[in-house]
Amino acid sequence: MVTTPEGAPDYARSGLLLSARGLTKTYGGQCVVDGIDLDIPERAFTTFLGPSGCGKTTILRMIAGFETPDAGSIVLDGRALSGVPPERRPVNTVFQSYALFPHLTVLDNVAFSLTLRRQSNIDVAARVKRALDAVHMTAFGDRYPHQLSGGQQQRIAVARAIIAEPHLLLLDEPLSALDKKMRGHLQIELKDLQRRLGIAFVYVTHDQEEAFALSDIVVVMNKGRIVQKAPPLTIYARPANAFVADFIGAATLLPGDIVAGEEANESAAIDTAIGIVACPAVEGLAKGDRAVLAIRPEHVRIGTDGLSAVIRHVVFKGDRYLVEAEVNGFILQFLADTPLTPGTTVGLIVDKDRAFITRIG
Amino acid sequence: MAPVFHRAQLALPVALILIPGCVLPLVVLLVFSVFEVDLDTFTLVPAFSGQSWRQIFTNPVFAFLIGKAVVSGAGTAVLAACVGYPIAVSMTRLPVLWKGVGSIVLLTPLYTGEIVRIYAWRIVLGSEGLVNAALEWIGLIDEPLKFLLFSPFTTHLVLLYNNLPFMVLAIWISAELIDKRLIEAARDLGARPIDAFFKVILPLTTPGLAVGIFTVFALAAGDMMTPSLLGGTSGATPMAMIDNLFGTAFDWPLASALSLSLLVVLFAFATGFVTVLLRFEGARAVFQRGTR
Repeated sequence: MVTTPEGAPDYARSGLLLSARGLTKTYGGQCVVDGIDLDIPERAFTTFLGPSGCGKTTILRMIAGFETPDAGSIVLDGRALSGVPPERRPVNTVFQSYALFPHLTVLDNVAFSLTLRRQSNIDVAARVKRALDAVHMTAFGDRYPHQLSGGQQQRIAVARAIIAEPHLLLLDEPLSALDKKMRGHLQIELKDLQRRLGIAFVYVTHDQEEAFALSDIVVVMNKGRIVQKAPPLTIYARPANAFVADFIGAATLLPGDIVAGEEANESAAIDTAIGIVACPAVEGLAKGDRAVLAIRPEHVRIGTDGLSAVIRHVVFKGDRYLVEAEVNGFILQFLADTPLTPGTTVGLIVDKDRAFITRIG
Repeated sequence: MAPVFHRAQLALPVALILIPGCVLPLVVLLVFSVFEVDLDTFTLVPAFSGQSWRQIFTNPVFAFLIGKAVVSGAGTAVLAACVGYPIAVSMTRLPVLWKGVGSIVLLTPLYTGEIVRIYAWRIVLGSEGLVNAALEWIGLIDEPLKFLLFSPFTTHLVLLYNNLPFMVLAIWISAELIDKRLIEAARDLGARPIDAFFKVILPLTTPGLAVGIFTVFALAAGDMMTPSLLGGTSGATPMAMIDNLFGTAFDWPLASALSLSLLVVLFAFATGFVTVLLRFEGARAVFQRGTR
């Protein structure tokens, strides 16, 4: 794998695996995928992140061949996919509902794609064993799907999908039906598996923590369009707009006007309900533009000389309390160590160095 | 503590009616089958005689008639399965509204009375009927086709027509319950549509196929009217014979013995059919789904 001098994977030089242009899909007059351009590098873990109905699953289904795009093209390994049926595409899918064949044992489920290609039995047995090893399910070969737990079924679904060595593995919210603990386990296993196999994974989820934990590249989608495509850290630290900032983590979004700062400038200032705040400038936003100041709950603390805020709601989060307080008609979220009483007034200090400006839409 | 009802207990009311209503007549038949008939007075005389049973086993006509009913039923069931399967599977692809229309159209044969239907077939298939007239008009034949009416062909065509809805409905429901994602998964893993059919759809519709075959077999093997009125000289059935023996011939013991024999044979064959079909892994998977 090609890496940068710092050792991080350099996807720009690893080569392009999949390239989509102007991809569009409309259902009953509603545009689900709206002219998307997309490049997916080889060997990378790419995640589509967005609320339900944003079109992420539809893109996956168009890559798999279950849906035909109304317009646009998909090129995989340099070959145009239009008109190629699902069974002849070098991709395999892990379904949200697992979709294991209920009438076949684990062994027969995993061997399904190989038996269709009439491989020799010895070869099939060896490859099935390797695939089951990869998901730690070797001991379950003779079971039927209904005899397995949800997590075990999903492992088998993964083994079944990787056995034919696809160039691209598509995963459609594969962990969403599992409990939190199992989800955590399988996230680690999937990431590990992707590194070992060196196959590109395209993953769909609405869970931002999952996207951050797994991905090399996160593609945030909203209403059929790509809003931002970047590594997780960039998405977290520099959300492209208020939608991304809001979706990836509970942040307080305060609208305001840019009062200082030019495009090339290092710093800018925004006038909001909590006063004028100085932040790093955002390219394309200039003085007089309407923008949003994003403040994360962890960057607000209680202090006597701060903004006067009235406590509205308190939610116990396990380690701390998430508190919503009202400042000048806007709700500001912050974390507190003690349960505060709704209705009381506190002083809040915003860590202005950690707040950031982002676009409204 | 809440009263504990087992789901199986819901079947109790019907069972209470069915068991006496089904078992009692059978007991009566069994009793009658060992009675004797006094032909001088035309009365049924209580006795313990094996005479009618001896006749059943020694006179080949009974075995022939029962065998004919079995072959007829099985043939109709297999034909209905072959014809009905594609119809049922294509119905699953229809939009919801058309599924409703489809099932109503499918049931059309059941809305008309049996006698009306049988006479309608006579009009369609007779020497001067629709089919022959049409074939003569386009010049395919010079003489009317005789085998169209009053032949085993007619009997089985009409048996097939009458019973096809039961086959299609059973398979259709079964096919409708298959998770569409399973078919997508099969395609995704490299199965052409034909592979997906044989490896996923067919195995998972075996319960529907079993129900359809069981139903059509029982209905077709037990049909008396269609063979009698449309089968011509080939239309003899054990049912017609039983009717005769009970009525005109007044040989209730023999009629009872024949009825019981027919019942046992049909039951054995139907059970055999269904047992074989339900041994397939597809049927097992469908029935185990709810027991996890």
